Amino acid sequence: MKLTGIRLHRTGREPHTLAGAYAMDALAEADRARFERHLAGCEACAQETAGLREAAAALGAAAAASPPPGLRQRVMAAAATTRQSGPASVRVRPRLRAVLAVGAAAAAGLVALAVVFGVANGSMRQQLNQAQASSQQIAAVLTARDATMMTRPVTGGGTATIVMSPSRHALVFTAAGLPALPPSRGYELWLIGPRGDRPAGTLPMHSGMTGPVIAAGLHHGDRLGLSAEPAVGAPRPTGPMILDLPL
Amino acid sequence: MARGDAAAFDAVYTRVAAPVFGIVSRVVRDPAQSEEVTQEVLLEVWRTAARFDAARGSAMTWVMTMAHRRAVDRVRASAKQSERERRTAAAQIPFDEVAEAAEASLDRERVRRCLDSLTEIQRESVVLAYYRGYTYGEVASLLSVPAGTVKTRMRDALIRLRDCLGVAR
Repeated sequence: MKLTGIRLHRTGREPHTLAGAYAMDALAEADRARFERHLAGCEACAQETAGLREAAAALGAAAAASPPPGLRQRVMAAAATTRQSGPASVRVRPRLRAVLAVGAAAAAGLVALAVVFGVANGSMRQQLNQAQASSQQIAAVLTARDATMMTRPVTGGGTATIVMSPSRHALVFTAAGLPALPPSRGYELWLIGPRGDRPAGTLPMHSGMTGPVIAAGLHHGDRLGLSAEPAVGAPRPTGPMILDLPL
Repeated sequence: MARGDAAAFDAVYTRVAAPVFGIVSRVVRDPAQSEEVTQEVLLEVWRTAARFDAARGSAMTWVMTMAHRRAVDRVRASAKQSERERRTAAAQIPFDEVAEAAEASLDRERVRRCLDSLTEIQRESVVLAYYRGYTYGEVASLLSVPAGTVKTRMRDALIRLRDCLGVAR
């Protein structure tokens, strides 16, 4: 390993010749870090490395072997208790990032992967289209210049977080710690105001957290409401408001 | 976990589990550790699926890159106590590694053919680095060739493989 470091220094003028070794993970740790710094500033090297990685991956895929029989169940069980990360590409202020960390955005990633691998079924494709459309809208609100964040307690338990962008006439809503509801019931968002009371979406629940929901079409004077309703959603609120927030 | 995610992950598992387990066990060798690393890789796919960027390469490459990186990290971490063992094993390298696996497939045939088109030193460098997890410095001392030569042979070899396999780019 020491030997490798010395050689690299000697040939340091042409770091791109390390692309092959890098693509096969054949660099010792220090060399790897150095090459990655080089890659960050060399578009041609990044291009070449990506192509060599594809070739190396083909070598890997050629070694395919059946995994042990119990592995699928163990992996699925571990995944059920492992939280997914949000996409790296959406740049939002750190305080807002938590909003994206839940549910929908990450789920779209896996479904997208299934689509890329050609193993997705029709309903996964539909789910992806919806998720992509809504995660684009969500990202637009979270990255808007005038985005402001509010946190409010929910009557009966839980906390709601709202990120609103007046210029986009939209808000992103998430909540944590809401009381569990029977399967036939669900939480529904409302926009209440001079233009009438409009349903603004039902909340997808993931173990007490809700995925981010986008409510668009905000008007001056609207309030945001939340109530428990039949799981399919109601056309107008029937339950008591457990959140009633002037916007 | 949402039901849609579980179904999608199950489908992805079906597609990637064998390639991941194959390369991990080729590099790591020890069956129990191979299974452990395979599980880590698949969970990383689950955790970071949203970070996959199709503009930067294929999904299979994304997964295999994670798998190989983790396998190599594992084998290097445990290399210290078994350094002698590895060196001894390396002394009798079967250069026909790819033919080792029992089941035949078209991909395997193609990769084999392309590996055969490399020069001997290119092929040995690729096999030792990719399938055994050696650094290029280690490969150089195993083959008694200057490190600079191994480095350039590795790049030449992958370029040739890339062109032979008709990989995009």
